This record gives sequence, C-alpha cells and structure tokens, in this order.
Amino acid sequence: MTADAPARQDIRTFQGMIATLQDYWSKQGCIVQQPYDMEVGAGTFHTSTFLRAIGPEPWHACHTQASRRPTDGRYGENPNRLQHYYQFQVVMKPSPPDMQALFLGSLAALDFDPLEHDVRFVEDNWESPTLGAWGLGWEVWLNGMEVTQYTYFQQCGGLECKPVLGELAYGIERLAMYIQNVESVYDLVWAHTPNGPITYGDVFHQNEVEQSAYNFEHADVDELFHHFDACEKACQTLLELDTPLPLPAYEHVLSASHAFNLLDARHAISVTERQRYILRVRTLARGVAEAYAASRERLGHPLLRRHRTEASS
Amino acid sequence: MSKTLIVELGCEELPAGSVKPMSTALASTLSAALQSAKLLAVDTAPTAYATPRRIAVSVPAVAAQQADQTQTRTGPAVSAAFGEDGAPTPAALGFARSCGVDIEALDRVTDKGGERLAHTFTQHGQSLEDWLKDALPGLIDNLPMPKRMRWADGDAAFLRPVQWLCVVYGDTPLRVDALGLSSDEHSRGHRFHAPAALAISQADAYADTLREQGHVEPEFDCRCDDIRTQVQALADELGGTPVLPDALVEECAALVEKPVAIAGRFDDAFLSVPKEVLIQTMQDDQRYFALLDSRGELMPAFITISNIASRNPETVRQGNERVIRPRLADAKFFWDQDSQTPLGSHVSSLKSVVFQKQLGTLHDKTERLVRLSRFVSGEIEADQVLTERAARLSKCDLMTQTVYEFPAMQGIAGRYLIHNEGESAAVADALEQQYHPKQAGDETADGIIAQVLAIADKADTLAGIFAIGQKPTGAKDPFGLRRAALGLLRTLIERRIELDLAELFAAAADGLRAQLDDSTRAMDALPYTLERLRSYYTDQGIDSVIVDAVMACNITKPIDFDRRVHAVASFLTLPESDALAAANKRCRNILKKSNSQPSDVDPSLFTEAAEQALGDAIESTRGQVDAHLASSDYNSALQSLAALREPVDSFFDHVMVNTDDDTVRANRLALLAQLSTLCSEVADLSELSR
Repeated sequence: MTADAPARQDIRTFQGMIATLQDYWSKQGCIVQQPYDMEVGAGTFHTSTFLRAIGPEPWHACHTQASRRPTDGRYGENPNRLQHYYQFQVVMKPSPPDMQALFLGSLAALDFDPLEHDVRFVEDNWESPTLGAWGLGWEVWLNGMEVTQYTYFQQCGGLECKPVLGELAYGIERLAMYIQNVESVYDLVWAHTPNGPITYGDVFHQNEVEQSAYNFEHADVDELFHHFDACEKACQTLLELDTPLPLPAYEHVLSASHAFNLLDARHAISVTERQRYILRVRTLARGVAEAYAASRERLGHPLLRRHRTEASS
Repeated sequence: MSKTLIVELGCEELPAGSVKPMSTALASTLSAALQSAKLLAVDTAPTAYATPRRIAVSVPAVAAQQADQTQTRTGPAVSAAFGEDGAPTPAALGFARSCGVDIEALDRVTDKGGERLAHTFTQHGQSLEDWLKDALPGLIDNLPMPKRMRWADGDAAFLRPVQWLCVVYGDTPLRVDALGLSSDEHSRGHRFHAPAALAISQADAYADTLREQGHVEPEFDCRCDDIRTQVQALADELGGTPVLPDALVEECAALVEKPVAIAGRFDDAFLSVPKEVLIQTMQDDQRYFALLDSRGELMPAFITISNIASRNPETVRQGNERVIRPRLADAKFFWDQDSQTPLGSHVSSLKSVVFQKQLGTLHDKTERLVRLSRFVSGEIEADQVLTERAARLSKCDLMTQTVYEFPAMQGIAGRYLIHNEGESAAVADALEQQYHPKQAGDETADGIIAQVLAIADKADTLAGIFAIGQKPTGAKDPFGLRRAALGLLRTLIERRIELDLAELFAAAADGLRAQLDDSTRAMDALPYTLERLRSYYTDQGIDSVIVDAVMACNITKPIDFDRRVHAVASFLTLPESDALAAANKRCRNILKKSNSQPSDVDPSLFTEAAEQALGDAIESTRGQVDAHLASSDYNSALQSLAALREPVDSFFDHVMVNTDDDTVRANRLALLAQLSTLCSEVADLSELSR
C-alpha cells in the first residue's frame, strides 16, 4: 500500500471485511442498504431482492442480512453451523454485462489474488419453493470452498423477471474464517478494540445456545400454528383491500415463513403436510408479488422514469 | 479456394454437463448446414472445442462463396399465354412482372404439360459471411440446452450469459450477429492467466493460439487425458492408486480450462468412517479423486483439479484441506453416533416411517420381507435363520443419521454396522446386496442369503405397488419398478435360481393382506415382470422372435425361460430349423381354419405312406422329447424335433389334408394337432417362421 492511499479497513476483522465489501459495492453504484428488521431465512427475502426483482425498474443495492435457519442450530457446539448467521447480499438490476468481473473485483478487494487462489464458477441452480422464485447461476468456489451464491433471477413470485436481477450472496462467516485462518466461527475476530479483541463468540455464542434451545425445545407449537394461520389471513386481507398494501402483506409472508421454519425445527410438520405449508406460503408470496407489481405500475415506475431522464440528460 | 472456418461462442461458465454435448452439437449442425449450403469444398470432419467458457468449432475446407446457379422458373402454358391475336394474356403479363422482366425476355420450355413460358436467370451465390449472418443465429438457438436463461435487459436466451463471438475464416475475421453479440477476431484466453482479448489471426492456429498465448486447452478430450495423467502422476508420488471414474474426470474437465492437479491430505482419524461415505463426500461434494493403497484401503489423501497454475500452490492445497475437513468431520460425527446404537434397535422406529401410505410403514414392509424370505428360502433351501435375521434388519440402516445424510449409503451402512457388531458375513453382505443390482451392468447379489433378501425386497415392492394400482405409466416410475423387475429377473437367471415368479408373487400377495383387504391385483406384477424379459434378451443381442417363441409357452420360471431361449437359439443354427418352423406355421394355419376339436389319432385310418411315416415319427419323437423335457434338457428336445423335418415335408408334399372323407380328414387334423403340440413344448416354433 502506498503512503497516500486512503486508509483501508482491516479485512482481518469481521467488521472490517463487511466494511470493505460495502465500500467496494458502493463504488460500483450500489446503495448500501441495511438488513431487513424481521426474521428471514436468507438475504433473498429482503424486499431489496424479492420485491425489487419484480417489474421494469432498475435497482442496485448491497447490505448484510441475518439469516435465521432454526433447524441449523447446534447449541453453539458446532464450529461451522449456526441458526443465525450473515449473508452479504448484492443485487444489480439489470445485471451488468461485466457482473462476473465486478464480483471478482470484490474478491480482489478482500486481497484474494486470482493468480494465487483457485476461483471457479460451479453450476448451481437456485429455487425457492416458498417464494415461487428461481434463477440460474453458480456457487463460486475459492480453493474448493463455496463462498458465494451467484444467481440470475428468472422468476420471482411467479412473475417473469425482466430485466433480470443479478444476485450475489456471500457467506461472510466462511470467508472471514478463511481470511482469519480460524477453525471455529466463534474464534473470528469481530473487531480489535482498546479493550482487546472482540470475537464472534463474544457477540453470538450465548445467542446460539439459547436460540437453539428455544427453536428445538421451547417454541410453542400450538401458538406457531395459530400464528401461521393468522399471518395467512392478515396477508390475504391486506391484498384484498381496494388499494392493496403489498409491503405490510409481505411482512406477514415473512412472519408465516419463519413460523413454518420453527415448526419444522420442532418436527411438528409431517413430510406430507410440509408440501402443503410451502404451497400456502408460495400462494401468499405470489399474491404479494402481483400486488407489488401493480402498485409500482400505479406509481408510474418512478425509478424507471428517473433513470431515463438521467440517461437522456 | 477453401479455408478453415472457426466459430467460437464465449460464455460465462457453462454447466458442466452441457459443455461437451453443446460443442459436439454445434460442430455437427454447423458442418451439416455448410454442406447442404454447398459451402464445404471437401467433406472433412469438423473439430469441436469445449471449455467452461467457450464452445467452438473448426471446419476445414470451407468455400468463401457459394457458386452461382442457373435457375429456371416456369410460368403459364404458351397456349394460355397469348390470345388469338398473339397479344399476351393477363396471366403471361403477370408472370413476366413477377419475374421482373419484359414478356419478350421470357424463354419457352417443354415439360410434360406441354410448352410453357419460362424465365431463366442466374442465382448469385451468397458469400460465406452473408450465409453465416442468416444461418448462425438459428444454429446456436437450436443447440441442446436443458434450461435457458435471460440476463441483463435483453431478450436473448441461452444456457448462460454470452460474452463474445469470434468468427475467423482463414485469416479474415467475419462479422456475424447472434445473441446480441457482434463477432470479430477476438477470443479470450484463461480468465486469470491471459485476461486480455486474444486475436485469432489464423483460423488454423485457433487451438495453438489458445494453448500458447491463452493458457487454455480447448480440446475437451485432451483435458480429460491431461487430468488422468496428472492425477496418476500425483498418486504415484503418494504411493496410491487413484479412483478415476470417467464421469468425474469429464466433470472436472468441464470445470476447468487449464487443469492443474493438486494433492491434499486429511486426518487419519476419518478413516474409521466407511470408505464409501468418504469417497462419496470427496467425489460428489468436492469433485476430488480418492486414493487407495495397495490393499484397496482408502488413503487419507485426495487430489483436486484446480483451474490455475497458482503462484503459490500451497494456498490452493491448504484451502482445499480446510474445506474437506468439516465435511469429513460431519460424516464422522454421524457415523460415530450410529456406531453407538445396535442396528437392530432401530426396528421399532421403522414404524414411524411410511413406505407407502396404503402399504404401511417400513416396519410393515420389514414384517412382509421376513415372511416372504421364509417362503423363498424354503423354495431354494437357504438357511432359514440367517435369511430371517437379514430380513428383520434389512431396513434398519434407513434410520441412521449416516443414511439420512448420505442416502446412497443405504445398505452399505447396514453392512458395516452389523459387521462391527460381529454378525456373520452372510447377513452383513445381505444388508448391502438386497439392493443389487443397483443399475444396468452391476453385479447381482452373490451370496444365497443376499439373494433371498434381494428377491424378496424386489418382489414385495412390485407386488405391493401393483396391488394398489400404481403401476408405471410412460416415463413415470417413482418406485423404480422397471429396475426392480429387471433386477429380480437378472438375479434369478444369472444366479441360476429355481424359483417360479407366479408362486413368488402369489406369496407376496398373500403377505400384503396384512395391509390390504384385497391384494389380488398384485398378480399384475407377473406379466409386467415377464414382459421385461424382452428387453433383457434383446439387449444381449438375442433375436426377439426367439423370446416371442418362448413367451408363447407361458413360462413363469425365469431360469426355465432362460434355458429354453438358449436352446431355441442353438436350434436355429440347425439346418432343419427353418423348414420345420415353416411347416409348423402351415400346420397351425390349417388347424386354425378347420375349427376342428382335437381328437386322438387312429393309425388305422392312415391311407398314405407319408401319413403313416409322419405318425410313426411323431410317436417316436414324442417319447424322446418327453424324456428330455423331464430333465429340462431343451437342447436335446429340440434336436429330436429336427428328425421330424423330412416326414413333415413329405406329408405336406403327398397328403391332402382336406379330403372329402370327413373321418380321414379329422384324423389328419388330429395328426397335425399332435405335431403342433410337440413343436410347442419347448417354444412355439411356428413363431420362428418369418
């Protein structure tokens, strides 16, 4: 690094790595958004991906997103599996022609020299049965390790994606473990502070222990079934309004989806019932997608208009 | 003059399974299209190139220009073209106009409709470039693609986003548009080793340019060979033998443009896990090659194929070792857990897993297998105690975490677990081999206990699914009944097991009554299974008429069916067989027309010598055939029939069956009926006559 280069984040800390990714992608024209403030199973559920993938308006954003996967909880005892972990999500719509190169640039920003590391794109076709969404792309391998899911969205909520949204979902704990060369996620250095290093374990270990116990042992099954039904009903009601409210309706989809995941962790849903619950969530997601598309149309696709004005000026 | 044409479509990384098929399809369709456009000077084979980032084809001896062609277009008959005053009719004027010439410029030709107006003109040939502009987009669009995608904001759809199009003819770049791209002479080298655009100055130098300047091996098969060589060399260094499945070599070749093999190691402690689990983890999850030592045991090492000549190969090695460690640790965790529980203790939890809604749980299936195994072992004299024990344990490993995480380990996990508990090898092997043969070409179960269980498992599934009326339709076969039926047949035939399928399915149907009030439809599995014999034998190159001839005898014991098929096949090599088959067919037709009831033959009613001779021959042959049938010696039985050929031919030459004397006629029909019966004992020989 030359003396007059701008101060760089310390990528050997968890927060420094996130800041580096945010900085890199903001320079590529992405707004730095914040995580969605509800429980979601993956970054894709953030409105910034699921809803912005719908319709003709352009969208470029990045953000971290906590993913909740109740069945993956291991009471803080497994060094690689967590019921709460982060993804770093990048969405670009329309997907730029050099998106692969931009992605590789982000690895370079994390000091991965492509002439030293083996970077490969291995076919991985993504589908979310609950969101009625699918796309084609890859899992990106770094020396054999899957570090990012890279997807070109083809359908979302049952609607064709046109233009296509390109999505990158980095598994940031994994990347950080690689960069910091630690064997356990809990040993990751989150940040160096005047009082010494704070680790991922300091921040989240107790949470993993308690949430695993809650997910597997204490989540109230009857209440969750009830909650699922209530969310479904609320979502339907909001979509049936004269002027539907797709955004609040969508939050009920997220809530129902999380209730379903908890019920799954409690082994409360049989194999045959499982399909039926997934279908119920998908039906809601589809309704939201259609209502959202209509609402943006009613607004005259403001981002599209602005995009065109700027392009012509 | 002709030169080489190179067409290369650059893509973002293609799915591994499509890399080679797409390029061979492009090679064959492009050269076929050039051929039919008369743009191929000589008929030479194209070369296909395929990497994850490109499909390309090089076609030698392509013409730059289609030849001009003289063409004639015919119009109305001359008689209809001019009026009585010699003035052209509207039809004639319209034709001239459509040809773009004056009426005076038209010729006349005579065809079978008489003399017609005609326009002869020169069709100018297209240049190669113009032809490609028209043809290439369609050729690319018609390539075989499992699933197309769109990208950015265009309408183009392909397997993955496309990045460049390079078209060079001799030393000239051609400009063609396809999928939103415009071609030029620029290819690309390896994504990291040669990132700049790479000019192809000579079509003939395409492959060498990529190799020397681009750091890319464009030929798929060359990369496969390279991978094999490199893996073998590293394995030699490590003192092991690589497990080198073709499918894995090809997948790796489809994932890299520049294969560089790198060896890594893992902790010895993981070797306590069955090697099948470890190999599957390495192959399926990481595309690693496993290594075996001289005793065939797994070594704690792997070889990966990277896509980079790394500045620091150690980084790549360590990275891969980091990845495989938690995966193997997961496998070991599950295995260690499973090893702490006796396999048999899972029997009761089988009650919680549904096999099929109407057919009950895995526990119900287990009970049926115990029962059916008892029947089979009784029939073929297998050890009752061991077969029952194997049947009782057969599905227990489905409850283990190892099989839950690695479904392909079903059976294998059971074998290891029960073996570690000190169980006999016969029972342990049966747990694995109940699923054999897993696919075409696989070995069938080889111990008798395993055979009993393999037979019972397949028969129960077939009988059960047929009993509930869910037989396979079209391509839908969710329970794998085709494979089960063929596996059942192969086990019985190839292991020479004397078991009748009719009795087996009847016993299976009987057992199903524990779950079903009415299991009679289970017997539909019998004709379904027997029908699979056709493909079983035709796949071995045995003529389908032979199979049909044996089918006609309603044989339900596969091993018996097999003896007959082979006896008929060798009978067909006898000189007498054709004539005998033809005579039999004739005999059958006569009987069919006569509608007569079979009756005994009365030798006193014979009037002709040939009649007498045939009667005698049938009688003596009958004796021989019966003796051979008694010992299932079908070869000899059919050979005895050969002696009938001469008297049969003589009979048809000299004897009129349909005489006016009803008694004599009936007696002759009875004689033919005897002949026909005799010729249908081993197989229906009339089926052999073509």
